[in-house]
Amino acid sequence: MRLPRFEYLEPGSIKEACDLLSTHGDDAKILAGGTDLLVRMKKGLLKPKIIISLKALKELSYIKKEDSYIKIGAKTPIADIIASDLIQKEAKALASSCEKTGAVTIQHYRGTIGGNILQDNRCHHYNQSAFHRSGRQACHKDGGKICYARDESDRCNSTCQSDGATALMALNAAVTLVKKDKKRTIDLVNFYSNDGIMPHAMEPNELLKEIIIPLKGAKSAYHRLACRSAIDYPIVCAGVLIKPDRKNKIRDARIVVGAMGRSPLFLAKVSSSLKGKSINDTNAFKKASRASMDSAAAFAVHNIGASLEYRCQMVSTMVFRALEEAARSAIKAEQ
Amino acid sequence: MKKIKITLDINDKPFEVFAAPNNTLLEVLRDELDLTGSKESCGEGVCGSCTVQMDGRPVRSCLTLALEARGCKIKTVEGLADGDELSDLQESFIDHGAVQCGFCTPGMLMSADALLKENPEPDEKTIRKALAGNICRCTGYAKIVEAVAHAGNPREHCPDCKTKE
Repeated sequence: MRLPRFEYLEPGSIKEACDLLSTHGDDAKILAGGTDLLVRMKKGLLKPKIIISLKALKELSYIKKEDSYIKIGAKTPIADIIASDLIQKEAKALASSCEKTGAVTIQHYRGTIGGNILQDNRCHHYNQSAFHRSGRQACHKDGGKICYARDESDRCNSTCQSDGATALMALNAAVTLVKKDKKRTIDLVNFYSNDGIMPHAMEPNELLKEIIIPLKGAKSAYHRLACRSAIDYPIVCAGVLIKPDRKNKIRDARIVVGAMGRSPLFLAKVSSSLKGKSINDTNAFKKASRASMDSAAAFAVHNIGASLEYRCQMVSTMVFRALEEAARSAIKAEQ
Repeated sequence: MKKIKITLDINDKPFEVFAAPNNTLLEVLRDELDLTGSKESCGEGVCGSCTVQMDGRPVRSCLTLALEARGCKIKTVEGLADGDELSDLQESFIDHGAVQCGFCTPGMLMSADALLKENPEPDEKTIRKALAGNICRCTGYAKIVEAVAHAGNPREHCPDCKTKE
């Protein structure tokens, strides 16, 4: 498969990249690892006139601890995140999600964490070759007015299958976006727009600079289900965070279910139902995971990998496993 | 579209080529430099048959732009053998019958070579994980894993060789 034609620009600094983005905006796309962007370009889903490569921007690749935050540069390769002791210790959900992203040779050295959370939503009616798509009317995501995944739907129902986004949302992370002369930080919960066509609130002239994870002394875990253990995107995934108090009661919990909706789903009501429960309370975990399944099932459509019924049922299993793992590591830390 | 003159360091030799921005590293290797060991199969980073090493790390050459490969040390499957003498890993592939149709073999070799540089004596689990991104449709994984284990440590980890002894 050949790539379509484009002009290649290689800015030497973040400022220069922002200037280029403000000039070219909609016509330009950012290239970091290319494991998502180039595939979409090869399939003709995207035809940017200009590619702005981040190859020279080494300053966007770092993992550091500042005060009570972990800061990760957007261009940090996924391999570096897995290798980081800080992330393995303090943000286990992110480390696990990175370990399960793609396959070793794809993910490790080219794929970046910024690219992972900014990857476009997917749907097996849309992520097809140009030839396949030419045989039928365009869907919402392709610029048309039909949804093949849900009959008579007036909007796109594509699914966000990012591993990193689910884990980072569970960790209550925020992202810093920069554009010419401006900078803003936005929580991931608000960053994802729940819109299948434009899944996140990033403007065309903005650049993702940094991911910020608050350290709260909490334990996190991430579990996912995919058709093959390597290479494939998740068909269901869950990231959870549990913060126990001194009496081993849950003070704060966050449950996020991924690959079920247009963006990762933060289940606020189910999460708060865990507050005050004992960290050993398996029944409460079971109840919460069943409630997660009920909440998440409302958003899902049959448009990726396995059947919808199976995916919905597996939400509860993934959430339960993640809750158990997080609770186990909290108990271990206590001892 | 204007082609740009770039220098690529491939198998320790500098090559000057003219590449368009939309040329992938794989296209330059195969079409411009006649290094046809690396294969194109899926073209979207799933199958692993185009795997080459950049700075010692396995990457997909079908999803790497040629312009992005500037300044990196690139190693292709042609760089494994020393003249006519095959590397231990290649010999081991032959000895264990790890090659059937052979289309996935260059990618397997490059992934395995990178693994063995990092971990000279990997166990089976490590080998399977490192080769998880390389697909073989003849489904000869068992032989491939044995071949890599043998190349790493001929005595310890290779069930076939153990029984022969």
